[in-house]
Amino acid sequence: MRYRNLLWLLSGRERSERQAINDDAELLLDAARARGGFAVIRTWAALIWDVAVHGAAQDLARAARSLVRAPGFAITASLLLGVGVAASATLFALIYAVILKPLPYDKPEELMAVWETNVAQNRLREGPSPGDVNDWVANNDAFATLTAWWTAQATLRGRDGSMPVTGVQVTRGFFEVFGRQPILGRTFAGGDYAGALSIPSGRTGGSEPLVVLSHRLWQTLGADRSLIGATLFMEGRNWRVVGVMPADFAIPDLDAAFWTPWDIEASYRGPRFADGPPREARFLSAVGRLKPGLSREAAADRMRVLAARFAADFPRTNADWSVELVPLHDELIRASRTELLLVFGAVFGLLLLVCANVASLSVARSAARAREHAIRLALGAGSGRLVREHLADSGLVAVLTAAVAIMITASSVGLVVRFAPADIPRLNEVALEGWVIVFAIAAALFATTVAVLIPGLRAGAAPIASTLKDGAPVSGHRAGRIRRALVVAEIAVTVILLVGAGLLARSFAGLQRVDPGFDVRNLLVLRIAPDVTRYRGADLVNGYYSRVLESIREVPGVASVAAVTVLPMSTIGSDFYRPYWLEGARPAGNVMPQANVRMASPGYFTTLGLPLVAGREFSLQDRIDSRRVIVINESLARAAWPGQDPIGRSLILDYQGGPTAREVVGIVRDARYDGPRSNPAPEIFIPHAQNPYLVMNVLVRTTVDPASIAVPARARAAMVDPDQPVHSVTTMEQLLGDALQQDRFAMLFVALFAIAGLATAATGIYALLAYTVAQRRREIAVRMAIGASAASVARLVIMESMALAVLGCLVGAAGVAGMSRVVQSMLFGVAPQDPLTLVATAAVLFVAVLAASWLPARRAARINPVAAMRI
Amino acid sequence: MPDRPASVAHLLPLKPKVLHVLLALADGPRHGYSIMQEVAARTDGRVRIWPAAMYGLLRELEDGDLIVESEKRPEEDDERRRYFALTATGKRALGEEVRRLEAIVDLARASRALRGRA
Repeated sequence: MRYRNLLWLLSGRERSERQAINDDAELLLDAARARGGFAVIRTWAALIWDVAVHGAAQDLARAARSLVRAPGFAITASLLLGVGVAASATLFALIYAVILKPLPYDKPEELMAVWETNVAQNRLREGPSPGDVNDWVANNDAFATLTAWWTAQATLRGRDGSMPVTGVQVTRGFFEVFGRQPILGRTFAGGDYAGALSIPSGRTGGSEPLVVLSHRLWQTLGADRSLIGATLFMEGRNWRVVGVMPADFAIPDLDAAFWTPWDIEASYRGPRFADGPPREARFLSAVGRLKPGLSREAAADRMRVLAARFAADFPRTNADWSVELVPLHDELIRASRTELLLVFGAVFGLLLLVCANVASLSVARSAARAREHAIRLALGAGSGRLVREHLADSGLVAVLTAAVAIMITASSVGLVVRFAPADIPRLNEVALEGWVIVFAIAAALFATTVAVLIPGLRAGAAPIASTLKDGAPVSGHRAGRIRRALVVAEIAVTVILLVGAGLLARSFAGLQRVDPGFDVRNLLVLRIAPDVTRYRGADLVNGYYSRVLESIREVPGVASVAAVTVLPMSTIGSDFYRPYWLEGARPAGNVMPQANVRMASPGYFTTLGLPLVAGREFSLQDRIDSRRVIVINESLARAAWPGQDPIGRSLILDYQGGPTAREVVGIVRDARYDGPRSNPAPEIFIPHAQNPYLVMNVLVRTTVDPASIAVPARARAAMVDPDQPVHSVTTMEQLLGDALQQDRFAMLFVALFAIAGLATAATGIYALLAYTVAQRRREIAVRMAIGASAASVARLVIMESMALAVLGCLVGAAGVAGMSRVVQSMLFGVAPQDPLTLVATAAVLFVAVLAASWLPARRAARINPVAAMRI
Repeated sequence: MPDRPASVAHLLPLKPKVLHVLLALADGPRHGYSIMQEVAARTDGRVRIWPAAMYGLLRELEDGDLIVESEKRPEEDDERRRYFALTATGKRALGEEVRRLEAIVDLARASRALRGRA
């Protein structure tokens, strides 16, 4: 190796100076060689460093000076790219926090959510039952620790009023499984669990009830250290606060306000639970920490062995039931993964579009400078020098792009967190942190390389002679080809974005058109959870609700009022999925049909606007001491009495109090209870009076805007008992909107990017054509001079853009095929190859392309041949 | 009327490498390679100025009128070599810088904490 080979890095210096540097370096190397191998290496390293630093620094300084002199290109490029990179980085911040970042728990990869699964009944993800969890904990050899929990609403009462909160009742080992320490106080010791009863039980088992507060509730309560050891009054009892968890401890989610010990065995005692904790009520959530070194598959196998044993020992409740382990991380992000990746894809598509446009700009710029470069080359400038200047220019654009992107991302991250659907998990962890900045810098480098560095290098490499020939078009053929290819790429990406947006919009419209089965307008929903210790017993509960309903009915603008445990289209309320059979026909096997069981007050179906198909709905005569009656939906009628009239017949429902015969008095239309994507399932309604349930949704049918009734309705409920706050007030339309929130989020995002993409592609086409027309002025003038009409010249320009559009559509079609697989799972009622969407996309695209070509075409048609050729 | 010497205050403090180059030239004109050698020798190899840095620095100093290309050169030397010498401004800047450093050293010597260790 010769030192001379490094000198190109210093080509900004005078020739004599480079010579002097070379001579001195050779002297230094000679001296080093005399001293031996190590000295030579050290000297070489120092010389290379010396040249690199003093060469690059000078180039950057020159680039910065030329930026200040002519900032147009660098500023435009870095602003455009910066916005594109910022959009990608923002979405990356979201994806990083939600999907990529390890959970904030000790060795999170060892944490597994445990589900019970029954393929025969198509119930694939059921929370385990207390009985099963209890036996798993005692007998499993898969987990080092296994814990379970369930949530309950509670009302926290203080001097200043009361507040609804979500409490999590956790079994032994809960905090140990997650391996997190409290920021204040302690978590629960083993003994704290013994005899601890649930929140809704309203009772205290043996010891004092304890709570560990969430960071958020602790903040709400004044963030005072003295809260440790203090008591909180909830559900008729005093709960002693023993600790506070950190802000990012969100199990099961951010709504968790406190955790309290729960003893499964103590909670299921007495004659009702002669066989111990129930195995058929599958409502818990369970997470286990794998034994060290045990793989998920091996642990799942061990749990399945256990499940098979249970199935043999308890066939009535456990036949066909197996166990599924899902990594906790996958479990948490399950619902949001596709949406986030889809939106990220759209954002990245936008970044590519921006890159293509800036690349087009770079090609045009370097084509315009080709002449200047050729002159400099002809005058003896080293080609290395030109390349290095371009490198420095690109480097400067990269730095500016990264700076712009990071600045925008810093504020856009907050915006996205504010407007993203609240049910995206881990939103609280989204922030502009190290990896997001690394991503932004990497994306800026990528974007600058693609959009500035490479196009400039290629387009600049034109032969000197032809470039300098008098009258030669300033833009070479090669630059033109590259720019056309870029426009084709832009159109292709836009096609993909447009089709994606079109499909999501069609799907969203389909979801909105889904007939929920009832009238959603003018419905107000109040959720009420009275204190279990105050309202113990059927009479008190019934009395309370009949007074509340009566009181709200008197509000002007209210047409009717009713209460129900679970509302259609929403996920709030406790659902019960219970076995039933026809009287005298109990199935011999273990597979029993099941139905959702709900408690409803008289007038519920009328208030909801859900039509009765046959029979009657509940009335005040259906009391706790009268004949047991039910209303069923059409699905259940078809399943239980195909082709027959169910009215007056009875079925046995295995529900609270054991199997009981109940007579069908009415049939209602099917409604979708689990959001618009769900299909109607068999339903059984029990009169609330015959099975009083404490936590209810009060439904108000109004004749005026339901939102205007919210305040008076809430006040009326409080008049009945000022200590029982209404937990939430919302409208049915709002609930319906919430059910579609993720769909709306994805659709709006992709649509936004499709529009931005279309605008970018149109700008790209416009810029290309405007440039080409300017380049071809002389040629067009010649054509016109020899008889071409203005119309034919305009057609020439438009045909060129149309050809590019067709080509872009073809390339885009291939991408669409790839994208359909991703969106398929999000679509509702529309196929990924939906012809309407594809045709509409093509139409929109061609209109946009036509619009973008209009001005250049007109300009071409108005060229004055005489003036153009005179130059 | 003689030219009033221009103030050199705005040049101080000198960057360490500039100080070393000026010091190396204090005894008389040198060429680039010789400055490198001299600086390395005076600092026991702790300060090395490599060629690309050196000629950049020399150009800066020349532009700043601290040094000037010297006509005086040994006859037998390679004629491509450029010799540099201190200008009047360069000499003054060096002198001021040395006085500034002396003042600091005096302060340090007067400091109780350091005196104990000396």
